[in-house]
Amino acid sequence: MKLPAALLGLLLATPAWADCPLDLGRGTGWVLFSDHYLMAFRSDPLRIEVGEPFALVLNVCTKSGAPAELLAVDAQMPEHRHLMNYRPSIVARGDGRFRAEGMLFHMPGRWEVSFDVRAGEESERLTHDIILK
Amino acid sequence: MTRLLLLASMLASLLSVWAGSAWSQPLLDWSPEEIRTVGQHGPWPPPPVRDPSNRVSGTAAGVALGERLFSEARLSGDGRMSCATCHQAGREWSDGLAKARGSVELDRRTPSLWNIGYLHWFGWDGAGDSLWAQSIRPLLDPREMNGGPTRAAELLRGDATLACGYEKAFGRKPGADDEQLMVDTAKALAAFQATLVSPRAPFDDFRDALVAGDRDVAARYPVAAQRGLKLFIGTANCNLCHLGPRFTSGEFGDIGIPFFVRPGEVDPGRLAGLGRLVVNPFNLLGKYNDDETGNNTRRTRHVQRQHTNFGEFRVPGLRQVGRGGPYMHNGSVPTLEDVVKHYSEVSPDRLHSDGVPLVRPLALTTEQSADLVAFLRSLDAEPPVRPAPPALCP
Repeated sequence: MKLPAALLGLLLATPAWADCPLDLGRGTGWVLFSDHYLMAFRSDPLRIEVGEPFALVLNVCTKSGAPAELLAVDAQMPEHRHLMNYRPSIVARGDGRFRAEGMLFHMPGRWEVSFDVRAGEESERLTHDIILK
Repeated sequence: MTRLLLLASMLASLLSVWAGSAWSQPLLDWSPEEIRTVGQHGPWPPPPVRDPSNRVSGTAAGVALGERLFSEARLSGDGRMSCATCHQAGREWSDGLAKARGSVELDRRTPSLWNIGYLHWFGWDGAGDSLWAQSIRPLLDPREMNGGPTRAAELLRGDATLACGYEKAFGRKPGADDEQLMVDTAKALAAFQATLVSPRAPFDDFRDALVAGDRDVAARYPVAAQRGLKLFIGTANCNLCHLGPRFTSGEFGDIGIPFFVRPGEVDPGRLAGLGRLVVNPFNLLGKYNDDETGNNTRRTRHVQRQHTNFGEFRVPGLRQVGRGGPYMHNGSVPTLEDVVKHYSEVSPDRLHSDGVPLVRPLALTTEQSADLVAFLRSLDAEPPVRPAPPALCP
């Protein structure tokens, strides 16, 4: 039992991770990854209500643990082919930390949230589904 | 004597059975998912609302001043029209007309003010981002009250009772700034309008009983309304837009009502409303927003104008819907039965949706249509008699 904990501690103490920590602080949220990127995000407030504005708190990193850039956040309902009625704005807070303000899901159902991320010349779109009841 | 008692007892039993059958109708089967969905349409009424952008919102003095000003015809250019001319208490805070009538007939219907304080966008096109900003529009509109930019200020300064009511509400005497006094007039009007909360309706008793698992009380809700409600939250998908306790998302949709207001002239709805919002000096990004945190500006800062906004209008709440009408933003649908018929027969070609359409012809049977109407009418209730407005000042 002590060995895995020690390994986890070692992993978290690795300097590369410290450059872009995936710590959202609340123990809640979603983690997304691709071949090149890792990101964690949660909503603020934690519970997303239909018709109520919310923000996303995000950490965006490369797989090697360096901070990456968040270029855009958007969301759509793929079944109905419509976007949000609102356009979020992104504030960078350093070390791969971002806050996307001005999200609002105006209908219940499946929303596909998209994140355009970049490190250097390489950009990519990551997506995540949120089902709102 | 014994026979008489026996007969009386049997009669009493029979009457009891009859009375019981008159009260308790069948309770349809409701799945846990359906109960959860029905539960989202309550509880009712919600807690009183306070608008942080309006310093007199939720204050007794602000509401009292607003109620007095609501019926004040001297706010209009010719002294003949007040807010209450179109928003009549006896007509569900509307006027019963297909199209609003100011100095001329307008292109849209007078919206009801029930539960207006809970909205975030105001007017059929959402050009207002606060109730007080929206209340300025008819004061100035030449086709409506046509009061001009100085009328409200002159009235507040010149009428001793109103000046006293103003001082009570705002903590200062009416000053020399005409625009500030017009905005304050609108804020008092908004404070009053936000108190207009519709009464509990038969649906609310059913909803509460269903959520609480009280089958006896739930069974008092008419079966036709139960069937209509199942349609509303089920195959008809009405609750995608008519959601929550107020039965509205507060956002906008195109439901296939013709665009043209006259030959060659269209009502672009939300698309034009967003254009007006941006240039409105009284929007929440302006200097009259009393909320210093700026938290209430999120919708205004982030809303985006999209080509799909063309022909969209605000989704109305459905409480008291059966007592209102005509229906739709332009009053083009006379009765509630016609509204259901519209959704049953709406043309998919007119809606030109790319994906799964939110509005599609429901092809309802006669019984289904009647059930939906029965459900919608269960959102109606007789409002209590309004007490006389309090005196502004002794």
